[in-house]
Amino acid sequence: MLEMSKTVSWLTLLCVSVTVRGAPAPICPHGHPGCQAISLADLFDRVIQHSSRMHGLSSDLHSEFEQYFIPNKIQIGTRRCHTSNIVTPNGKENATKLAEEELTEVILKLLMAWGEPLAQFHESMTQHADYNIYSSNKALEMSDMVYELRNGVQKVAEKMQLLGIISNLLNGQDFLEGLDAVDSSEIFSVDYPNLLHCFRRDSDKIQSYLKILKCRILPENGC
Amino acid sequence: MNNNHSTFRKIYLYVCVLQEQAKTMERKDSLSLLCVLVCVWTQATYTQGSTQVPEDFTPEPIVLPHFTSCRSREQETFRCWWSTGSLANLSEPGALAVFFHQNNLMPIGWQECPDYTATVENECYFNKSFTHIWTSYCVQLRATSQNITYDEYCFTVENIVHPDPPVGLNWTLLNVSRSGINFDILVRWAPPPSADVQTGWMSLKYEVHYRVRNASHWDKLELESGSQQSIYGLQTDKEYEVRIRCKMSAFDNFGDFSESVFVQVAPIPTKVSVFPMALLLVFGVVGMLFLLVLIIFSQQQRLMVILLPPVPAPKIKGIDPELLKKGKMDQLNSLLSSQHMYNHDTYREDPWVEFIQLDLDDACEKNENSDTQRLLGLTRPGLKGDDDSGRASCYDPDFLPDTEGLLAAHSEMEERHPLVSESSPSTPSPELAETPFFPVQSQPVSQSWINMDFYAQVSDVTPAGAVVLSPGQQNDTPSKNPVDKTKKEEEEAGKEEEHEKKMKLQLLVVDPDRGYSHEVIARQVESSGAPFCSAPEIAYHTLPPEPAEEPHGWHGEYLAPDGEAQMAYFLPEAPPASMLPPVSDYTVVQEVDDQRSLLLNPSARQSPACPPNPIKHLPSMPAVPVGYLTPELLENLSP
Repeated sequence: MLEMSKTVSWLTLLCVSVTVRGAPAPICPHGHPGCQAISLADLFDRVIQHSSRMHGLSSDLHSEFEQYFIPNKIQIGTRRCHTSNIVTPNGKENATKLAEEELTEVILKLLMAWGEPLAQFHESMTQHADYNIYSSNKALEMSDMVYELRNGVQKVAEKMQLLGIISNLLNGQDFLEGLDAVDSSEIFSVDYPNLLHCFRRDSDKIQSYLKILKCRILPENGC
Repeated sequence: MNNNHSTFRKIYLYVCVLQEQAKTMERKDSLSLLCVLVCVWTQATYTQGSTQVPEDFTPEPIVLPHFTSCRSREQETFRCWWSTGSLANLSEPGALAVFFHQNNLMPIGWQECPDYTATVENECYFNKSFTHIWTSYCVQLRATSQNITYDEYCFTVENIVHPDPPVGLNWTLLNVSRSGINFDILVRWAPPPSADVQTGWMSLKYEVHYRVRNASHWDKLELESGSQQSIYGLQTDKEYEVRIRCKMSAFDNFGDFSESVFVQVAPIPTKVSVFPMALLLVFGVVGMLFLLVLIIFSQQQRLMVILLPPVPAPKIKGIDPELLKKGKMDQLNSLLSSQHMYNHDTYREDPWVEFIQLDLDDACEKNENSDTQRLLGLTRPGLKGDDDSGRASCYDPDFLPDTEGLLAAHSEMEERHPLVSESSPSTPSPELAETPFFPVQSQPVSQSWINMDFYAQVSDVTPAGAVVLSPGQQNDTPSKNPVDKTKKEEEEAGKEEEHEKKMKLQLLVVDPDRGYSHEVIARQVESSGAPFCSAPEIAYHTLPPEPAEEPHGWHGEYLAPDGEAQMAYFLPEAPPASMLPPVSDYTVVQEVDDQRSLLLNPSARQSPACPPNPIKHLPSMPAVPVGYLTPELLENLSP
């Protein structure tokens, strides 16, 4: 009994620490007994909160790195990200015109694309001695958040599918694996300022898309 | 450069001067050539610098056309502004053109500004169709006529978003501090209408500034995501200015400030706080004064005693004045009995009370002593029957036991009939049984009184120490019941007035209420004769009964003060008063017979015990209880 209570308390502590960091609460797997299901609205809220936090971290890191690497005007204009080939709606109208399934797909693609590069980024930061610890921690947190957000959005998609809001998504396991294969590019290896700039932009995209998606699926006042 | 030019000029001038001076000289040709060369050289250098000089010499530096700013208000459209610069020929409208380039997947190339705003000079407006978020733009400022790019500016739209200022800024008062110096307000606003906050397209953060009016420094509050914020610790005597601006969260571009709102709270409570304090103070002082006055008046006497001690009044030794006021009658009587003056005063008031002056002789004293001893000796029980032995006085030794028997019988009577009247505060029974039958023990009692009387009232004490006995009270000691005495005496006085004429004696022996027949006393007194210590001049008489009243003799309440019970007295008319034997004033009632007549000596019913003499004098007299005669007997007794 003591051991059971210890494990339970350890688990709860872990959950609490995770939530404190801003990670979304663990979502019950489908059909798990004794687990209270969360409504779609709550799921969306949590996911959006998470994405906002992620975007904030990316902005902080980007501004920190921009002190060291000031890009000239030419560079800004011609900057390319490894996710540039992903077709994303570039405006509010474009995003609202897009179907929910496609929007969800885009979100997931983006999230997929950024998992690996951020992990590498963090690794390279820890290897370099001149980077301060706070930035390194932020990078690590950011990297973890991408994975968590990916899982969260997948859950949201599953829930939506369950509720019949969206039709069968293309993002089955195959889809995701295909994305992983595509993302093995070399662009992000060295250019950290560019990487951070790109990620800042993409996290903003993710956040905005999620908000638009929520507004369309769960219409509230003003949506 | 200027210094160089000036020096060159100086050199040139100097050389030229030298040249002119050299002209006067004979070697003109070489000098002039030298001067010319120098002049040309300086001129050449001067002219070379002339290309740079116009910039230094012209007070206005040439400013090329450039972009001043590009801004988006709502992340859906954006505008760019530029400046024409200082070149005159470029100030004309249409001389400059803006081209932009989007860095997206579809490389279209440079495009010209889709909309040159007509109302605003040098502004290019990009509408929604031309605005793509998350794409980098580059705009160029080019001259229309020439292929010159004056300025280029690259950006992404989300980085140039400066939201409009929030609208609807207002404030409400939260609270004012108790002292009235500080107050807190709650500031509210609404997001700018151009920003699409509801869909979440833009998430804004707001920053509130405030300052004292016309101050130089603004105070900032923390960024707020909501639509309200509190400002704490403002001062009531100052006017404040509040304004607000917002920015996109995770971005650093603040929008413009809103219109300022002025905040001021009037410092009202200061007045209110002073007023109750003054009122409180006044009330407190008034209350204190009132209390003081109350204390003084309530404790006035004590204060007077403290401040002005009274002169001690004369005290009666042994008598507590408080006891006089509140003490019980028995206590009072005992108290006053020790004082000599009390009795004296009371008896003076009764005119008809006369005193028997007893001159105590040795013989009397002897007899008295023996009598006293005998009387006090209560060992002899029972009563001896009285016989007509012709005793001269009640002091015969044979009779003495009877007195004792009477005493015993009296005590028996006591038990049957409570002798205590309502008016009598003292309880006679214990007193009668206990107290000696002399009211004053120390004082010698006259022989004539003692023989049959167990109770005698001492009216006065002579200076010689002799006791003056007075009749009138039946069983009470004269020192006690002064009230009773006065009462009885008043009743007596009322009745005695009628009989006063008949009174031959100086002494009123019997109280008609009480029913003591003084006949017996009188007879006894008379019969005593020589041994009597009583004054021979004292005559006794018995009061005639009151025929109008109760013919019956005794009632049970012979002590009734109201005079209901009328005692039947008979007056032996035939025998002169002097013939009558001395009659005792107090007699002990031993028994009450059927006819409700009190029997002093029940055994001696047939033959009156004490005064055998009256029987002698009145042979026809039937058996009469000692000293008491019923109306029936009265008839018989009349000779």
